[in-house]
Amino acid sequence: MSKTLIRNARILDPASDTDDIGDLLIDGGKIEAVGTNFQAANSTDILDADGLCVAPGLIDLHVKTGEPGEEHRETLSTASRAAVAGGITSMAIMPNANHVIDDVARVEFIARRGALEGKNRIYPVGALTRGLEGDAMAELGLMQEAGALYCSNGETSLADAGTMKRILSYAKDHNVTVSVRPNDPALSGSGVMNAGPLAAKMGLSGIPNEAELIPAQRDTWLANSIGARLLFDQVSTPQVLAHLSQSRERGSELDVHCTVAAHTLFFDEEEIGDYRTHCKVSPPFQTRSERDFLRQCAEKGQISAVVSGHDPQPAEEKRLPFQEASFGAVGLETLLPAMVTMATDGAFSLLQAIRLVTSGPADLFDLPQGRLMAGAPADIVLFDAQKTWKCRSDDLISRSTNSPFDGHDLKGKVIKTMVAGQWVFEAN
Amino acid sequence: MPATDKTNLFPHRHLLGIEHLSPDDILSLLDLAEDYAELTRAGKRPDQTLAGKTVVNLFFENSTRTQSSFEIAAKRLGADVVNMAVASSSVKKGETLIDTAVTLNAMRPDALVIRHSSSGGVKLLSRKVDCAVINAGDGTHEHPTQALLDVLTMRRNKGRIEDLNVVICGDIAHSRVARSTTLAIRKLRGYVRFAAPSTLIPPDTSGLGVSLVTSDFEEALKGADVVMMLRLQLERMDGAYVPSRREYFHFYGLTRDRLTLAKPDALVMHPGPMNRGIEIESAIADGPQSVITEQVEMGVAVREAVLHKLAGR
Repeated sequence: MSKTLIRNARILDPASDTDDIGDLLIDGGKIEAVGTNFQAANSTDILDADGLCVAPGLIDLHVKTGEPGEEHRETLSTASRAAVAGGITSMAIMPNANHVIDDVARVEFIARRGALEGKNRIYPVGALTRGLEGDAMAELGLMQEAGALYCSNGETSLADAGTMKRILSYAKDHNVTVSVRPNDPALSGSGVMNAGPLAAKMGLSGIPNEAELIPAQRDTWLANSIGARLLFDQVSTPQVLAHLSQSRERGSELDVHCTVAAHTLFFDEEEIGDYRTHCKVSPPFQTRSERDFLRQCAEKGQISAVVSGHDPQPAEEKRLPFQEASFGAVGLETLLPAMVTMATDGAFSLLQAIRLVTSGPADLFDLPQGRLMAGAPADIVLFDAQKTWKCRSDDLISRSTNSPFDGHDLKGKVIKTMVAGQWVFEAN
Repeated sequence: MPATDKTNLFPHRHLLGIEHLSPDDILSLLDLAEDYAELTRAGKRPDQTLAGKTVVNLFFENSTRTQSSFEIAAKRLGADVVNMAVASSSVKKGETLIDTAVTLNAMRPDALVIRHSSSGGVKLLSRKVDCAVINAGDGTHEHPTQALLDVLTMRRNKGRIEDLNVVICGDIAHSRVARSTTLAIRKLRGYVRFAAPSTLIPPDTSGLGVSLVTSDFEEALKGADVVMMLRLQLERMDGAYVPSRREYFHFYGLTRDRLTLAKPDALVMHPGPMNRGIEIESAIADGPQSVITEQVEMGVAVREAVLHKLAGR
């Protein structure tokens, strides 16, 4: 394999707090060196970046496809192609598919199909409970050995606190990271958007913030008393983030982390406008001031990672009255642009924006990628941070195109994506 | 007949647990039990020290093995044995535990052997009767004759208990055997390590004097003299405490490979009944290091000694 030299790039490496013009030398699937004025041997492929940004490839901890069982939504192959078009070089596949990923055979299925069909690195996420029914613990230890990145309970918290406690205890034995989306279905009920004056005005049932806060408080307490590792998936309320930072101040050993979906950071509930079902997501878009609080938390490092929350829904499930339409938004191709756009708007620095989708998630799971340093896997994205482009659903590569970003001007255009030293995407 | 009859020296009326026994109490029972074991091995019958005495087996929880062991022990010593079939008795008709005890007491037995599903249930009964009470297992509290047969089996094979490293692996949280046997080993100055998933370890083991508590079975096995596997009830392996039997065997099953981590002459023990292929591989259960059937043999001998000391006064 020949070497690749990327010259004259704006190197963005959050792990080393680097934001500087420099060169990157890649050899044999790994980054060989980062620096300036590298001399290239004859056999080296040279790419002059001409000031474009080079960052570690993105790591997306929350992606759903339709495979196995609902391939009309998305397959691992189509999701993977969409991902690399968005600069995502590693992604974790959620277990809440038609056939729940709750045993070793299914974890191996995702890993094997991912390796075969994927253009990027694909990690299975195991189910926390069998069939995601919230009762019987799934084979957490065996799934971890089979390659599950972590184990998740899908879209809701566990109803039974005793079950959650036993699962956290057991998971700790095997260093399994337990993930739940803090969501008490008894409180979120039939809600379809953020509870509040807008929902009342629109005549839609609301999801109150306590549906997220109450199970999050319970599970934070349990994880802390057990010493287990807990990842709250797609947090959306200021109350939960405030609770986590207060808990962190009380107990330095707290091993509880959270992610936020990019669309939750980007949009507020007004975006729903005239009942746009592409904005029907769970957790729902929040008020402007709540969203701004989340952005501040992202800036201060109180969020470990931003995820796409990619959830492909075919048109027939979205072209319905708002109350009846399905939840979910695609996000693989808009994760990086959303982060760059928010950074451009001053929500946080570009380096922090990149951190939340690279070294942030990598550090959660001790992954070697997500950083530009000698010896790290050569997973990188080359993008134009200045260029404005209009996101159009019809242009998305994903098999489903239910994007709330449809029609929005975004900054940050992916030019090329590399996985393990190979270019896997090049923009037209 | 045993060489030294220490009947009158045993300073307890009941045997409710190991907790209140002194090391000398335990040793005197072990010595007497060993004498009985040798007599039986020699094909001889012991003196009928319990001739004319009545021993009542009162099992509120079914246990064919333990009940049979007590019955054989009592009959070898000449006692009349009555097995109260609790399922068909007045207990099922709504009689309270204490009324049952008072009624039985009026029949003047010499010893009551009681198993009850509630921790402390046997002690409650013992307060209401005039005869000796032997705890054959109360809830998740104690099972003293099991502990005695365990340490007797260890002593016969290792010559001592002192400084032995005993690994107990399995459902420790719900096990009276683990508690009683741990107490007995500690009183005789041996060491105990617990290995189990965190879900099957009691929340706080600090009062038990255990030298290691771990969910890493292989770590616990290193250099062990004795490996005691506990039975895991199947319903606890169905996702409540452990994800599955397969996963349990994968991490906690005693296999040939794992056993090599212990000392080469380590004993393998199990209080039975075994789940072969879940907590223990058949080749190990039936292998040269296994003393599982000797445990059963010592069970009768220990119960002869206990009945002798308590019912024979």
